[in-house]
Amino acid sequence: MKRQSRRWTRIAALLAALAFTASAVHAQASGDSRPAGASLPSTWMDMSNWANWWPWRDSKPPLPTGVESPHYGDSLFYFFQGRYFTSVTRLMVSQQFGRMAPHDDEAEILRGGLFLSYGMHREAGEVFARLIERGAKQPVRDRAWFYLAKIRYQRALYAESEEALGRIEKRLPGNLEEDRALLQANVLMARGKYIEAIAVLEALAKGPGATSYVRYNLGVALVRSGDLTRGTTLLDEVGKLPATTDEYRSLRDKANVALGFASLQEGRGEQARVYLERVRLSGMFSNKALLGFGWAAAAQGQMKTALVPWSELATRDPGDAAVLEAKLAVPYAMADLGASAQALELYQDAIGVFDRESVNLDKSVSAIRSGKLLDGLIASNPGDEMGWFWSISELPEAQDLPLGGHLALLMATHPFQEAFKNYRDLLYLSRNLQQWQESLGVLRDMLVNRRQAFAERLPQVREKERALDLAGFEQRYEELKTELERVERDADAAAFATPRERDLQARLDRVREALERGGNDPELAQARERTRRVAGALLWQQNDQFSVRLWSAKKGMQELQSNLAQAQRRDAALAAAQRDEPARLDAFASRIDALATRVDAMMPRVAALTQEQQAAVQELAVAELLRQKERLVGYGTQARFAVAQIVDRASMAKETGRAPAQ
Amino acid sequence: MSKRSLLMAAFLSLAVLAAASAQPTPTPSNAPASAPAPAPAAPAAPTSTPASLDDRIQDAKADVIRLNRDLMVLEEELLFPANTQVAIFVSMDVGKMFSLDSVRVKLDGKDVAGYLYTPAEVQALHRGGVQRLYVGNLKVGTHELVAFFTGKGPHDRDYKRGATIKIEKGTDPKVIELQIKDSTGKLQPEFEVKVWQ
Repeated sequence: MKRQSRRWTRIAALLAALAFTASAVHAQASGDSRPAGASLPSTWMDMSNWANWWPWRDSKPPLPTGVESPHYGDSLFYFFQGRYFTSVTRLMVSQQFGRMAPHDDEAEILRGGLFLSYGMHREAGEVFARLIERGAKQPVRDRAWFYLAKIRYQRALYAESEEALGRIEKRLPGNLEEDRALLQANVLMARGKYIEAIAVLEALAKGPGATSYVRYNLGVALVRSGDLTRGTTLLDEVGKLPATTDEYRSLRDKANVALGFASLQEGRGEQARVYLERVRLSGMFSNKALLGFGWAAAAQGQMKTALVPWSELATRDPGDAAVLEAKLAVPYAMADLGASAQALELYQDAIGVFDRESVNLDKSVSAIRSGKLLDGLIASNPGDEMGWFWSISELPEAQDLPLGGHLALLMATHPFQEAFKNYRDLLYLSRNLQQWQESLGVLRDMLVNRRQAFAERLPQVREKERALDLAGFEQRYEELKTELERVERDADAAAFATPRERDLQARLDRVREALERGGNDPELAQARERTRRVAGALLWQQNDQFSVRLWSAKKGMQELQSNLAQAQRRDAALAAAQRDEPARLDAFASRIDALATRVDAMMPRVAALTQEQQAAVQELAVAELLRQKERLVGYGTQARFAVAQIVDRASMAKETGRAPAQ
Repeated sequence: MSKRSLLMAAFLSLAVLAAASAQPTPTPSNAPASAPAPAPAAPAAPTSTPASLDDRIQDAKADVIRLNRDLMVLEEELLFPANTQVAIFVSMDVGKMFSLDSVRVKLDGKDVAGYLYTPAEVQALHRGGVQRLYVGNLKVGTHELVAFFTGKGPHDRDYKRGATIKIEKGTDPKVIELQIKDSTGKLQPEFEVKVWQ
């Protein structure tokens, strides 16, 4: 029974130590880790690497030839540059015009992902849910379920997240499958189903490319499930793994710090030193490791050894609580070693440092409340568009913000990054609305010009229309058509006579008249015969050409009909334009007015939200500094108490020394 | 020694408290059990600001995005009606033989578009993005389009090529894609113009 209780105490100690290191890793994994000198890690939930893998992480990036709609490719062009706002608005415009086919489903997944990247969980969830509802293909559906599960997990809807994961039908392509398994393990652990989480992680850990994260997660799951031996062994393995990237080195440090502090809490100082010695001197966990190492040595009664890491730590940036603690630990060790004078001096130095820090903290708090922190952050982090992976890369260097550095850890945390990102997004939205307000004015002017131009041109167009006399053309066409029908019916070959034939016919008629005037003169008989033969030849020629000429005439009539129809269409279009254009321009004007009203209504709403969000972000920073101030007060009290003790001891010793002499 | 233990206990509690305060709402998910996951996955993330404010910001973002869509649709319908609209896109297939610097486009002898590319834009084209370089209006009928591509060709030599095409503009929107391709056979870049139906 006693043994069991001790085992649970050990588990609790290790879990507490793991939680102790969590915030630091949380900070690092969620954003910029520059303050600690580490590079930005890419974690599986970190949207910052979306452009690298999603939605194509599972396959090679598609070749341009694979993009079968240039408009879809246009959204991708901005997506790949991280210009998500432009990407999503262009995508939605093209969707509105129905020009995304055949990429409709991919476009929807992209849209959902872009919403997710803005922290618009509700909208993203609706997009993915609609994709599933409308029966998208299985691979698309599976990905939609995966992202829904992720959103639900982020919203702490663990049961719903597990349900969504259960709806995934087949293995997800490529690395997405590992992401799915990791998400599943997290969901299961969040629901307290450690044994099932272990099964998922063990399957992953057996894979050839199992990452340190998988082993680390498995180690923690084992500890949580009560299997301390295996859990500790796995964490120990992670703590000894050769790490090639800063991200993995950080994870290794994290495992070692957790194990070290757990050992320290259990009173196993020597073991704690073994773990803590593995931690890098310059990493994010180095301060904690140095402090812990000192305490481990102190616990073994080796105060001189403890002084080495503490003295190093005491010289570091006092923004970290571990450094402030070292400022107390060093004189504590000195006093323990009997060097009371140095201890007294160092305690007094520490008190001075704490007091100065306290004053600086007050200055920083008022600077933050006057907006200097956010102004500085915005100025030193210029960026145009909204996006998840925008992160704070520079700390503002403001004179009035002496302890800006104290916010480094806070600024690397997910809540601060999220809050600041929202603030920055709102500023972007304000600028966007401002630009549209101006553009709408230009569009309105353009519409006025068009209306004026239309009014000016309309009389000229009407005059031309009257001069054209289309009705006259139509009447002539009808007459010609009737005449052609008659010619065909009567086989009137003479109707198609050429000018030369008509001229010949006229000459023949004149000759006939002259011959008739000549009466029955026998001398004219030969002339009459020649005339008859010529007239016959002419008739024969016309009859011979009749079918050709009839075909040609019909063809001409068809062309005429076609041209006339075209003219009628244009006339109708012109009439419609005359009738509809004012209405069309009115419709545009109404749309502009309606949109301008929306823009006008949106601007103060965004401005108010910006103010609220600014206050919220500032209060996050202020709360952190006030926490630090509270800590300083505590340390100051401890230091003063220690000074009083030393002074008391010295006075007592003095009095004791004087008494025997008396 | 008991004093030392007391101090150490105080230190540990302070340290754990400090960690807890940096992580206001620890939950199973943001414990290190899921080293890569907990950071962004922390369900407590949005609670850094009041939930209602976060919700209102989400609503505002969604409304502004929809408003932008409607504004852009209006702008396109007003400035580039479907019956006269012509859009010119640029795409790149592989692009190992050619490093794109700029593109210039002439329509019926008039310069209508010119663009200098940043490395990020070239990268986006490499990855499958297609840039809408120009959108304008054309009358019904036959038109001539000439595109000039400038950049670095094989062996890092300056490279300038043109591509010409006659296009027939009807009453539907015209979509033209200027494609930059690699000809592995010729070890040269190729420039083609595709007219989308």
